[in-house]
Amino acid sequence: MRILIAEDLYLLRDGLCRLLEAYGHEIVATATTGPETLAALLEHRPEVSVVDVRMPPAQSDEGLRAALAARKEVPGLPVLILSQHVERLYAGELLADGGRGVGYFLKESVFDADQFVDALERVAAGGTAMDPAVITRLLSTGDGPRRLAGLTGREHEVLALMAEGLSNQAIGRRLFLSESAIGKYTTSMFGKLGLTDDEEGNRRVLAVLRYLNG
Amino acid sequence: MKTWTTGFARSAAVVAVFSPVCAVWAGAAGLVWWWFANPWTWIAVAVIAFPVLVAVSRPVARWARALIAGWTGEAMPDARREPPPVVRMSTGFWWNGYGYHDSERDALMDRRMRMRWSDPATWRDLLFAVVAPLTVGLVAAVPPAGVVVAAVAFALGAPVVGAVALVVAVLSAPFAWRAVPPVAVPLLRPSPAAALAERVEELTAQRADATVAQAAEIRRIERDLHDGAQARLVALGISLATVEKLMATDPGRAMEVLREARKGAATSLSELRELVRGVNPPVLSERGLVDAVRALALERPLEVVVRAADIARPETPVESALYFGVAELLTNAAKHGRADKVVITIERTGKDVVVTVSDDGRGGAEVRPGGGLDGLRRRLAVFDGVLEITGPSSARMAVPCGS
Repeated sequence: MRILIAEDLYLLRDGLCRLLEAYGHEIVATATTGPETLAALLEHRPEVSVVDVRMPPAQSDEGLRAALAARKEVPGLPVLILSQHVERLYAGELLADGGRGVGYFLKESVFDADQFVDALERVAAGGTAMDPAVITRLLSTGDGPRRLAGLTGREHEVLALMAEGLSNQAIGRRLFLSESAIGKYTTSMFGKLGLTDDEEGNRRVLAVLRYLNG
Repeated sequence: MKTWTTGFARSAAVVAVFSPVCAVWAGAAGLVWWWFANPWTWIAVAVIAFPVLVAVSRPVARWARALIAGWTGEAMPDARREPPPVVRMSTGFWWNGYGYHDSERDALMDRRMRMRWSDPATWRDLLFAVVAPLTVGLVAAVPPAGVVVAAVAFALGAPVVGAVALVVAVLSAPFAWRAVPPVAVPLLRPSPAAALAERVEELTAQRADATVAQAAEIRRIERDLHDGAQARLVALGISLATVEKLMATDPGRAMEVLREARKGAATSLSELRELVRGVNPPVLSERGLVDAVRALALERPLEVVVRAADIARPETPVESALYFGVAELLTNAAKHGRADKVVITIERTGKDVVVTVSDDGRGGAEVRPGGGLDGLRRRLAVFDGVLEITGPSSARMAVPCGS
């Protein structure tokens, strides 16, 4: 894949480049500030990009804003946001424009390189990839728990994996259940949450997260 | 000779300051003498003289405060009350805090009169203007008067009187003015209530300063952690993930990445150590201010001499403020003053712990708003401490602390 990396700290930028090159991917460009990121995203149109939330000049959420701006220009431009901490607000903003080809990962989740590269590929293919830690946090904070109170333990598990962006088949593999069993869980779950199931993984995640974000 | 000239100049200054009051008295006396008809005249003269005296007392007191501040360093605020603002009400009338008026001019005038009569500062100044000239004013007037009398006596051919007057003037000059401050200071000093109000204002400003400084400090620490240790740990994890992947395919490259990762871990540890030292240097908590400053001096690329008296350790926050103050001043000396040699003294003067830092550089230290020295001044102000730039390349920090 042709990948763009936007990260202001040299150590991390360098580490990410080496890691992804070790997996046989090509780094087409790197960026170190918010404006640079936006320009590079629009110029190179990478198959997928890894963007740090916090970057110069203001050291606030420059990276996220650059990614959102680029996606406004080029709808569906695949972006995976990296962050040092889970921020509910950021996940919501990312998903707000349709949720195709977006991901939100914690930096330490990069350590599980296989999972990380997997997620990158999913995002590049137009899917959604959420860090498991992000999902756990989203499910356990705010009024999420109250709304999800009616779900059984198993349904909760399925919902969390679904939110990570996994398909029913993949969820079944993780939970050692058949795909059709997962299908049943999702149907009953959507029933309890008052959502209609339209069989498209991406939109299911969106629906769940939108529901959680109120 | 010097004490004589200074003493004479100071006596003369006192006479000059009090002269408007004397002029009022003289005017009143002249009026009475010229107009003297019956005992009621006294009342008429008093009615005229009183407002004039009130008007004169204010500048007289102000000059006296300035004089005494110059001699003894005791700054006395005049502690006048802030006038209430004059605002136009929706009805079209002007409100000045006391009443409504037809025009702004009336409102301002009314406010000025009311402020004058209701402000304790007015009566304090008046009391001073009545009491001081008739007591210490007369004492301070002896040397100048002696010289005048001598000059007149010599001119009129009475050398004995002239000589006596001159001797009195010469002998009294070094001492006459000294009578003024002990009497004037209690009269000029603001009342306890006014002093308290002033202090409250000062503390409010200090608290705001301290909050701002603290927030900036916390932000700095968060930034350092985010960009430093936290980022290094993430990089370390990524390197290990890379090694894991490369181990099978390219062991040589994997080894290289591992070696770098090990170096990265060592660096992040030393960065964390630096950060901890920036927050609270271990040597400061273990050995106290003097040794911490000595340790600081050892690390600087300057020749630093530390002269320290054996002092009891101040409170921890004071110690910390002084320590970071010295660090700031040392950095300044090297950076702006281009100094090679710095002398630091730490001693206790009365209730204060006093630290001076002076160097042989070209100086140029100044307290600019928002600058490093301004930050230091604020940090010390929290403990009622002061930062003084005592010379082109020397600074003095004094913080009162306990026993």
